[in-house]
Amino acid sequence: MLFWVIAAILTLGASLAVLLPLTGGGKGASSSNDHDLEVYRDQLAELERDASRGLIQPAEAEEARAEIARRVLRLGDVGQANTCQVDVPGTRQPSRATRLVATSAVLLVPLLSWGLYSQLGSPDLPSQPLAERLAKNPADSSVDELVARAEAHLAANPSDGRGWDVLAPIYLRLQRFSDAVTAYRNAIRLDGDTAAREAGLGEAIANAAGGIVSADAQSAFEQALKLDPANQKAAFYLAMALAQEGRLAEATAAWQKMLGLLPPDSPWRGAVQQALAEAANRSVASGEPAKGPDAAAVDAASSMAPQDRQAMIDTMVAGLDEKLRQNPRDTEGWMRLIRSYVVLGKADQAREALHRGIAVFGADSEEAKKFTAFAASLGLTATE
Amino acid sequence: MVETGHFALVLAFALSLVQTLVPLIGARTGNQRLMAVGGPVTVTGFALTALSFAALAGAYASSDFSVASVWENSHSLQPLIYKITGTWGNHEGSMLLWVLILTFFGALVAVFGSNLPATLRANVLAVQGAIGATFFLFILATSNPFIRLNPAPIEGRDLNPVLQDLGLAIHPPLLYLGYVGFSICFSFSVAALIEGRIDASWARWVRPWTLVAWMFLTGGIAMGSYWAYYELGWGGFWFWDPVENASFMPWLAGTALLHSAIVMEKRSALKIWTLLLAILTFSLSLLGTFLVRSGVLTSVHAFATDPTRGIFILCILTLFIGGSLALFALRASRLTAGGLFHPISREGALVLNNLFLTTATATVLVGTLYPLAVEALSAGKISVGAPFFNLTFGPLMVPLLVVVPFGPLLAWKRGDLYAVAQRLMAAFAAALLAMLVTGLFIDGASVFAALGVGLAFWLVCGALTDLAVKSGFGNVSPATMLRRFAGLPRSVFGTALAHLGLGLTTLGIVGTLCFGTEKILSMHAGESVELSGHTLRFEGLYPAQGPNYSEDRGRFSLIGADGGIAAEITSAKRFFPVRQTTTTESGIETIGFSQLYLSLGDEGTDGSVVVRLWWKPLVTLIWGGALVMMAGAAMSLFDRRLRVGAPSRRRKPTAAMPSAGLP
Repeated sequence: MLFWVIAAILTLGASLAVLLPLTGGGKGASSSNDHDLEVYRDQLAELERDASRGLIQPAEAEEARAEIARRVLRLGDVGQANTCQVDVPGTRQPSRATRLVATSAVLLVPLLSWGLYSQLGSPDLPSQPLAERLAKNPADSSVDELVARAEAHLAANPSDGRGWDVLAPIYLRLQRFSDAVTAYRNAIRLDGDTAAREAGLGEAIANAAGGIVSADAQSAFEQALKLDPANQKAAFYLAMALAQEGRLAEATAAWQKMLGLLPPDSPWRGAVQQALAEAANRSVASGEPAKGPDAAAVDAASSMAPQDRQAMIDTMVAGLDEKLRQNPRDTEGWMRLIRSYVVLGKADQAREALHRGIAVFGADSEEAKKFTAFAASLGLTATE
Repeated sequence: MVETGHFALVLAFALSLVQTLVPLIGARTGNQRLMAVGGPVTVTGFALTALSFAALAGAYASSDFSVASVWENSHSLQPLIYKITGTWGNHEGSMLLWVLILTFFGALVAVFGSNLPATLRANVLAVQGAIGATFFLFILATSNPFIRLNPAPIEGRDLNPVLQDLGLAIHPPLLYLGYVGFSICFSFSVAALIEGRIDASWARWVRPWTLVAWMFLTGGIAMGSYWAYYELGWGGFWFWDPVENASFMPWLAGTALLHSAIVMEKRSALKIWTLLLAILTFSLSLLGTFLVRSGVLTSVHAFATDPTRGIFILCILTLFIGGSLALFALRASRLTAGGLFHPISREGALVLNNLFLTTATATVLVGTLYPLAVEALSAGKISVGAPFFNLTFGPLMVPLLVVVPFGPLLAWKRGDLYAVAQRLMAAFAAALLAMLVTGLFIDGASVFAALGVGLAFWLVCGALTDLAVKSGFGNVSPATMLRRFAGLPRSVFGTALAHLGLGLTTLGIVGTLCFGTEKILSMHAGESVELSGHTLRFEGLYPAQGPNYSEDRGRFSLIGADGGIAAEITSAKRFFPVRQTTTTESGIETIGFSQLYLSLGDEGTDGSVVVRLWWKPLVTLIWGGALVMMAGAAMSLFDRRLRVGAPSRRRKPTAAMPSAGLP
């Protein structure tokens, strides 16, 4: 509402700026010749100053004086011809054409501005300064705002374990996995470990690594199962770890056992069934979503004999390996290669790929650090 | 508040249309009332644009992420000063700043233009309004800074870390004040062409506006150069980068305009040429805006894929450059030519200056646009860098600099070159001495160094000679001389200071290029290194946390002659997590006019760090000289001849006032 009042006042002011000069009485204006004369008079004065200071020679001054005088004379000639033209119309009553111009100008301002603004503006959207948004009633806030508030609170009170505990699963749901890892670790450090926290930590680590259940994640899940043998999330992911290591039979058994224990309305039922179906399809559960073999190739792989399929996977990995030899500055590629070798259980080759990747970017580069950290998250160390 | 700003912007656009049409019609039909509309509308338009800009700045300062431009270019953790400067650290906001300055200058003409002939004033405001209208339309149609997001994100994407520096607070506003200042000269020229006559007051008005614009542009370019010098960490002060050239071309043309406007004002000569120069100068400013804002520089092909903005600015460019040049072709013959002069005269010297400067401008223009043309026509990308400019621009500048001291000493109309040369003997002797000292004692190997230093001293001493001669040195008693010195017109001081500044800048450039030394080495904490007689000790790397970045600070101690620590220098590598970008903060210690410059490179595995060290002799004179030039321009602005009154029978009441307080 206030906005419309302000907009109306602004429009009124702008329209008056157009209207007032139009309605004002015609003021007698001076002709341009008067202005020129003023300038020449000033030039003469300046000349006298310069001459009296001795800045120019008397002869030069005389010449310049004559020149300015000539200009003034020429002005007089022209002035006879056209001085009156400018003065007269201003004092006349406004003509029809003038009124037309004036009216359309006055109308243009409100019509154009309101018309254009109604197309471009968002008049109903109030300003939302951040401080105000963070201070308002939590019930009206969006999830993002609540998270930002919690973050601000935890930045001020980093030892509030409960705060971290509340925030961690939210991060997980918002897919902010590395933040979730930090939050779970803080919650465990401050408030001790529970099965839910350990399982959440494992899930966060696994998702941060693109779905790979690394050694870190695995130990978190194992800890969760130790605290609560019935923890379904931990059981599910540990079976996933088996599948990723290529121990499909063991994974299938684990999932089937889990399926038997699950209550009929458990949310895990769907996930387990899907995992079982995938295992049955014997697809490569490498957990890499991006830039893997294309769907047709995977289809082809799943209908092949086991040894053929293994050969095809080896060929694909070798192809990636070869591509990186020719075009080595590909950070993503190196990480994909390392992960592939780990998934295939070829630790030595994974380690070699890690060394080569580090060598490409230099031992102290950002990329090298990233590779080392990535490999460590997969349970691979640079040396034996 | 945000929407109020948006509405004010739309309203300002509507007013700019009125400002274009009504005074123009008034001037054509000789209608006083219609012409009188120009003033109040211009002032109100400025007030509305200012309100709009304030609303946007407020949104930035309060991190209102419901505004798309704020979300893209700000972050809640930034210090308040960078939140505010972030307002113009992006395309949309900087265009708003552009029109804010444009309307500001228009309002100045409206308020202080009461001593102008009414039709000239009306036409100037109309042309200014037309420029404003096209840019308002450009902003509203392609770069609206007030586009909203609903729901609003909770955190922004941060300002480009390179821009998180005080340089951003100063450089763009100064540069825009310069660019846009030339719009007034342009409007005056087009107004004169529309009227078909050049009033005597025309030259009186164009010169101060050129001075103002030139002063700010000088400051803007110098500030930009210094900013690049300390922020980019490469130790260079000028890269012949297209963006730099874009601001340098209007400067060169503006310098030519400044000089030809003097001839025009004093002698009514070179009228048509001055008019053309004014049009060209602002055209180059527009071209600069186009080059920087359309994205055409990054890649012609990238520009072709998203051409909305670029095409729009290109249309504006064509409209104004093409339109004004066509008008020039039609009307220039109707303008009367001015007084005559002998080739050896002050006018002749200024014409020579114009010849060199416009040729230099053309050179830079070719060097800047040629790669773009090649890229557009073929797939290849070539870069025209320092070698091209050193071979073309350098040889053009040297003779110009050689003749600079002659100009102010020559008489108007008919000069005596021999007498002037005699007066400059002392300056010549000083320059020769400087060359000898350089050649014999400092650097015998480089002829360029000796010549360069000589040239710089020639300029500085030439400027001082000008002052000495004009105050009657050697002819009158010291007391009289002092009195005459104090009574010299301000514009004489202005000229001398500007030429002196040019000499200082030359000295700085020559000193840095010829006597500078550099070292790149890997250092461990506790190690020392010597460079050009200065010993530096690396104390080690220390991590630190900034408001929105983390940094590794490398601390260095400058060891004094007594073995104690004379100064501490810190250079840092900053990491900005939001944009995942690293910047280098160089460490600079100023010793006299020279600087010790160091920047950190990569860290080694063994705890060592790569350090780049430069010794830059006299480097501060490059920018100091520019400051002196600015001081000269400011001095000249206060010259009393710029305060011409309105026709004396009665001053016209200023119609601008009633509306000024309204919004």
